[in-house]
Amino acid sequence: MQEAIPYKSYMAATAGGRSRLHNFLEGAGNGGEHRLVANGCENSVTKLVVENAVIVFGRRGCCMCHVVNRLLLGLGVNPAVCEVDEEKEEEVLHELSVINGGGVQFPAVFVGGKLFGGLDRVMSTHITGELVPILKEAGALWL
Amino acid sequence: MSSSSLEVSTPMEEEGIEAIETWNVGEQQELEGDEGSKLSIALDINSTCAKVAFFIISKSMNSPTPQFVPSRLGIYEPIHQTGIWGENFKSNGNPNTSTSVIVEVDNKLENESETTSHEMLAPSNNYEQEASKPIDKIQRRLAQNREAARKSRLRKKAYVQQLENSRLKLIQLEQELQRARQQGLYMGGVLEGSHIGFSGTVNSEDSVGIAAFEMEYGRWVDVQHRQICELRTALNAHISDIELRILVESGMGHYFELFRMKSTVAKADVFYVISGVWKTSAERFFSWIGGFRPSELLKVLVPQLDPLTEQQILEVCNLKQSCQQAEDALSQGMEKLQETVSSTVAGGPVDEVSYIPQVATAMEKLEALVSFVNQADHLRQETLQQMSRILTTRQAARGLLALGEYFHRLRALSTLWATRPSEPSLP
Repeated sequence: MQEAIPYKSYMAATAGGRSRLHNFLEGAGNGGEHRLVANGCENSVTKLVVENAVIVFGRRGCCMCHVVNRLLLGLGVNPAVCEVDEEKEEEVLHELSVINGGGVQFPAVFVGGKLFGGLDRVMSTHITGELVPILKEAGALWL
Repeated sequence: MSSSSLEVSTPMEEEGIEAIETWNVGEQQELEGDEGSKLSIALDINSTCAKVAFFIISKSMNSPTPQFVPSRLGIYEPIHQTGIWGENFKSNGNPNTSTSVIVEVDNKLENESETTSHEMLAPSNNYEQEASKPIDKIQRRLAQNREAARKSRLRKKAYVQQLENSRLKLIQLEQELQRARQQGLYMGGVLEGSHIGFSGTVNSEDSVGIAAFEMEYGRWVDVQHRQICELRTALNAHISDIELRILVESGMGHYFELFRMKSTVAKADVFYVISGVWKTSAERFFSWIGGFRPSELLKVLVPQLDPLTEQQILEVCNLKQSCQQAEDALSQGMEKLQETVSSTVAGGPVDEVSYIPQVATAMEKLEALVSFVNQADHLRQETLQQMSRILTTRQAARGLLALGEYFHRLRALSTLWATRPSEPSLP
């Protein structure tokens, strides 16, 4: 699958749960598998938001996060997923709020570098049919 | 032991009866001899006969055909202990007292047996020659009969105990069935405004929340029913679109009201909402995360909405697909939650007594259920709203009528099911 925008991707290795920062080589995402990007330091969060067309931030093991991912995957989107550890939660939320210019809650979906919303917004825009065009516009989805 | 089996005696009983017959014959033989002592013998023999006879009669006490009793009594009429028996038989109705009566009598008879045997020996010495052989036989028969009587009594005790236990179990089961039926009936009868409160929680605040919800839901269903009737009348009367629009809006708003109610009670007890006990049984059958599936909703609505324009058909098709995708995502989320909770609860060494950490962690994770209920209701709401955007006012009115009528029929189905005649469980 040809990608117009390069993505930094990281395949989840262990279930150990310690947060690390990894920058990996660009690579074509495998269709169907969501790409896990773990963060360990504040700067990377901004980077992740900027560099990914679609990225979902959520607590580790959060089921709602899982719902968002499954929905996006079902649409053919290959979302980047950032699972945040409990210790880092506040930091990440803070930084995301700075990027957004307002409050942010988990799970948070950023599309095209901007906060899109939570599961609520994803669901309602999906039902009304607005979601897919937005994703296409951001380059997260091709026909 | 059916009533007919009374006529068929056990081998032990038969022996006993045989013995009595022999004694009766013997009795007649003795009467030909000395009159005075003969009478005492007759009495003594008869008292022993009485013992044996009693255990047979006492067996018949629990029979459903008490007419055997008087006839048996008739056979042994000359016996002087009839009076005592008469008293005992008066308490025939209650199997409990009969058991104790038998026990009482057993003790009495056990005490008497010793003295009787002595009495038996004394007179027997007077008839050494002719009487010794028959008396030996009599002694043997006595012993055999005592044995038979004892064994029979023990068997009877055990049997009655078994019957008692089964009876209690039966009563328990009947009560449970009655309760379950009533719940089904009451849930189905919510339309009439009567409903019982259900609370599975210990927390009184939660119970209040649940009780409040149940009352509100009962009213909700009543209002729903009224709205359906209004819609039907309005559609048949061909009122203006503006007026119809008002009905549609209030109909939609009524569903949104339900979602709000559910959200509130989910905070009190999410398991209550998800279990669907507040709904009728047929509705519960279709339950998905505490309510109906949006895709099901569309399947019910669409056939009632013909004719649809090309554009509408396309939009409805898209909506169906989006609905399905959203449902699948939520279902997968629920599965993940199940896995998470399961592995949390099962985690840790089992040979340690304390499981509190696992259970506490699992509880935290279960909080997510509230989000699921909210998200599912949110999806239902969004689907309804999108449908109302796609459809014309008249179509929307027909859609709401179809949906309301569908649930009304499901509730009727539940009531009918609860009151269907039960099939006999015994062959």
